[in-house]
Amino acid sequence: MPAMTKPLPGRRDDGLAQALAGCAAGDAACLRRLYDGLAPQMTGVAIRLLRRRELAEDVVHDTFVRIWEKAALFDPERGEARTWMFAILRNRALDVLRGEGRTDLVDDFEPMGMTDESVDAEAAVTALSEAGALRRCLGRLQPVQRSVVVLAYTRGLSHGELAGRLGVPLGTVKSWMRRSLLALRECMA
Amino acid sequence: MIRQEDDALAGELVIGLLDEAERARCEARIARDPDFAARVEHWRHRFAELDATARPEHPAQDLWARIAATVAQERPAAEATVVPFAAPPAARRPLWDNLPLWRGVGLGAMAAALVLAVGLGLMVRTAGRTPVLVAVLLSDQNRPAAVVNAFADGRTELVPLEALSAPEGKSLQVWTLWDRSRGPVSVGLLNALRSLDLNVEHLPRTATDQLFEVTLEPAGGSPTGRPTGPILMKGNASRTL
Repeated sequence: MPAMTKPLPGRRDDGLAQALAGCAAGDAACLRRLYDGLAPQMTGVAIRLLRRRELAEDVVHDTFVRIWEKAALFDPERGEARTWMFAILRNRALDVLRGEGRTDLVDDFEPMGMTDESVDAEAAVTALSEAGALRRCLGRLQPVQRSVVVLAYTRGLSHGELAGRLGVPLGTVKSWMRRSLLALRECMA
Repeated sequence: MIRQEDDALAGELVIGLLDEAERARCEARIARDPDFAARVEHWRHRFAELDATARPEHPAQDLWARIAATVAQERPAAEATVVPFAAPPAARRPLWDNLPLWRGVGLGAMAAALVLAVGLGLMVRTAGRTPVLVAVLLSDQNRPAAVVNAFADGRTELVPLEALSAPEGKSLQVWTLWDRSRGPVSVGLLNALRSLDLNVEHLPRTATDQLFEVTLEPAGGSPTGRPTGPILMKGNASRTL
């Protein structure tokens, strides 16, 4: 699949890879540059996942510390600097979401109910760029199959949580998810 | 088929649906399997569009200082993982020439200065804002329902701790009592508990043990000028340390 290894168009790097190389060489000013450029968006993503500002800021803190520590491992041949750094953020946020703070956070979810979350999911889809492949391809899915993908990604809901919210068996959610992913993959190839 | 399996697995990894063990296996595979790594990167790139829909939020002012402080502390470990080309062994390198070290020291000093500056600013700000007397008003179930703060300049405020609204046709009235012979004096009237500067200008300066209470009265306040309805909360002022 040679098409997949080609860099994908439509996204500027904004010198992020260069700043990462600076971090790898021990230049803290480069970390500051990354922070200035990415911290607000990262904080927004982390708040959407964790629903608590303090937790989200702790996650952003840990993310930049890891970026600093692992900058030398980033390989621009294999991926984009931005996605590499956001993957660190998301992994850290999911660790927190699935880890100790969990019971605490679930309380926060309860009063919202599934309807609100479906609205959240649809709002996120509507906010996607009209021109983007993701918007076009999500639009081809059944609404409920679209919701499971978007809620899992934006809110960090697990298969089990999605099954609970939607009132369907776990196996059903898993097969919806799989079918959605394969349909998306096909559509975005 | 295998490609489909890999695509679905890579997608689940990127969405965040895998458990810890599955995730670790995938991370290991990314390191040694460029084809799988490319599938993962493809998903990350596509789903990044959803990350862009989160509303950006400015993090707290001190977050960068916290990051800089952590990084400055960890610097020796981070240095060890980076092997510069043809660098002389670290032990033989003169300390003065160790740019990363001095940058670290400088960064640490900067962070410390920032923390001091913020701390000092807070101290100066709070000095004028610390109440000299505080009364915690307890409800009949002994729950703190509001706080009265009296400041050095005489200003006295009520700060609610619980939401409380008067029913239709009723008001909440705030009273204070410092002299039994004079009796309670009304210092505030409201329909729902909210932060309120109390009307104490013409009264003697608030003193230790002075009583504050909130009663339920007819709309517009007690017709007699004395509390007539049930006491909703009350407390005595204590001097702060």
